[in-house]
Amino acid sequence: MMYEHFDNMEKGIMGKLTQDPEGIHARKKYVLELAKLGKKLYSKNENIAWCGVTAPFDLLGSMGVTSCFVEFVGAMLSSTQTAASFLEEAENSGFATDSCAYHRAVMGAVIKDAMPEPDFIIGTSSPCTAGLAIMENFADQYKKDFFILNVPQNYSNDAIKYLAAQIEEMTQFVSDHTQRPLSKEKLATALDYHNKSSQLLKDIYDLAKAKPSPVDNKFLKDFGTVITLLMGTREGVKICQAFKDELKRRIKTSQCSASKERTRLMWIQNRIQYPFPINGMLDDLGAKIVVDELNDVTWEPMDLDKPFESIAKRMISIPFSMNSSERIRHIQNLAGEYKIDGAVNPCHWGCRQGTGARGLISKGLRDIDVPVLNLEIDCVDSRNLAKGQIETRVEAFMEMLS
Amino acid sequence: MNKKIGFSCAYTPIPLIEAAGFSPFRILPETKAPDQAGHMLHDNLCPHVKKVLDRALSNDLPELEGMVFINSCDSMRRLADAWHEARPDDKIVLVDLPSGMNSLSLDFLSKEYERLAKTLFNWSDESFSPEQIERRIKDKIDQWNLLGDLVTKIERNMAQDYFPGYASSLQQIINTAATESTDKALAMARDKIEPENPAKAGKAPVFVFGNLLFDPKVYDLFEEWNIHVIATDFCTSSRFITQVDTQMDNQTDNNIFLSLAASYLQQAPCARTMDTTMPGGIAQKIVDRAKAGNAKGVIGFTLKFCDPYLARIPMIRQALQKESIPFLMLEGDCTMGSMGQQQTRIEAFTEMLGV
Repeated sequence: MMYEHFDNMEKGIMGKLTQDPEGIHARKKYVLELAKLGKKLYSKNENIAWCGVTAPFDLLGSMGVTSCFVEFVGAMLSSTQTAASFLEEAENSGFATDSCAYHRAVMGAVIKDAMPEPDFIIGTSSPCTAGLAIMENFADQYKKDFFILNVPQNYSNDAIKYLAAQIEEMTQFVSDHTQRPLSKEKLATALDYHNKSSQLLKDIYDLAKAKPSPVDNKFLKDFGTVITLLMGTREGVKICQAFKDELKRRIKTSQCSASKERTRLMWIQNRIQYPFPINGMLDDLGAKIVVDELNDVTWEPMDLDKPFESIAKRMISIPFSMNSSERIRHIQNLAGEYKIDGAVNPCHWGCRQGTGARGLISKGLRDIDVPVLNLEIDCVDSRNLAKGQIETRVEAFMEMLS
Repeated sequence: MNKKIGFSCAYTPIPLIEAAGFSPFRILPETKAPDQAGHMLHDNLCPHVKKVLDRALSNDLPELEGMVFINSCDSMRRLADAWHEARPDDKIVLVDLPSGMNSLSLDFLSKEYERLAKTLFNWSDESFSPEQIERRIKDKIDQWNLLGDLVTKIERNMAQDYFPGYASSLQQIINTAATESTDKALAMARDKIEPENPAKAGKAPVFVFGNLLFDPKVYDLFEEWNIHVIATDFCTSSRFITQVDTQMDNQTDNNIFLSLAASYLQQAPCARTMDTTMPGGIAQKIVDRAKAGNAKGVIGFTLKFCDPYLARIPMIRQALQKESIPFLMLEGDCTMGSMGQQQTRIEAFTEMLGV
């Protein structure tokens, strides 16, 4: 079922691309690459690793491993409105409804045998303990070897050394399973692509800061989190270049009208994954999400001579791994750089890592006079969505901001 | 009287606190303070963390010289974050705790415990030479291990026969170690090692596990409800009295912190710690402990919104089912009230066990 889904997605976009190569915008190209990744994951001809969100996908890719974080599948099931049956399956097997639906959906898919069997599992302690617990469940269900990358929270020399040593140990673990040693040349190439992608991401985010911003409410949706799957590849660089080119073109052709940008918003953490007309609604209300919290480059360029240390620093630097005060400082900086009027925090039900800091984030934004709308919503499970209530709250918030 | 150091996680090595001249004070989630933590963090957070924060927000705490936090799970991380807001003048140290148990993790945790020791000795009014520090830590570990020995003996007695009031006494000893001192707990353990009441028959032998169950009265209730608790696995029960294997010293360049790290990481793990060589090992360990004690059933008691346990319950249930061991899963909020609400279910469960 999933293979067919990705295959159809790829064929559809490829068909349009053949008919009108110039007519395909950056986001479609990005979806095309994700469809190709999805197909590879489900093709049964690859070395597959299911991973935690912050795993080093560039390094794994350089070792010939097709890897992906499991929440990506949870999000995809939700966006295609197929999550409900998987959520029910997981709940019937004892996974509590109080838990995160990204994990519950994907666990349901494992139980229903709708996930490709991995060769091994790489768990990461960042972003969340729940994610790591689900990775252990994967390893238990599939009876596959399990490796954990512990991402320390304190950014210290000891912490970096510890994580770098684990990453190096992970390469041995991967080699033992693929029978392929780490190629320094291939890793250097992947890190070089990652550096190029990172620079392009910085350019993209800088362009998005313009007033009016060239982005629309969907353009950079969850981009910072998902693009990490591709950043260590030539295709990833091409995608980032396409996004940058499109933003430049939009600015040049004045496609971004100031009249449609009465309110500039920041989105905290992840977007809502199922079809929910919040983007259209915000459009109608003249509000534009100009920045997502996770769309930022928080790391230095990868040092090709110190690959493991560079990757370790990158993993510790991202907002997912930060403590709340650093995370809030990061959000406050973004708020200033993007000159936002307000922020939306979709307090994802069951998320102790992100949503757990709801009150602290609200206060942090209040301290710099940025109002926040805390939406109590499940970003993956739409079964209990109080659509009307959410709409009313969004409308009231926009009214207050205007 | 020694100044107190607050903490809230069982991975906090008490010997380090006491060696630095402080008394440990585990902030148990027992308070009449109003619910405010949900506003500062989120309502859907584990009640343990929320109640500990409520105590801080309402100043329902003794005078503390500092706080030790362990980065054990998301909720604990958020508690450490919120503490800065709730009590900005407190001295705080956050120890990073690995989730796995390999040699790199042991080495890292040993450095974290060493950092903790340095911080605690820095907080102390007295100054000590490195040799004195090492001696003091070793002495406190020896004392802690003596307590561990007695607790193990009490547990052994508890597993063999049902002695009315014995499980509750054990919990009192453990709570004393957590909130007063090892000395006092040791004296209490020596006093209570022989059961006060003769053994009785007729109760259902049950193994009880979960995250927090610290009120001694709960164990009295279990007895009233016809249960003989043969053993427990909670971070507030004997798992808290982690014995430190000092025999490792000779093999590890006499590094006491590595001994501490190895002992804490390799003890019966909390659900947040895992052995990657045995995914799902927590389930097998529970089965093994239930079988070792000839338990007729197992009761799991976990806090609402505790992700590490929520994710492991299905595998635990499955493993127990495979061994035909009846299992009752309860969820609560650490209060006696929530335990009281479970009475009917627990009584029905023991009836079903047919004792």
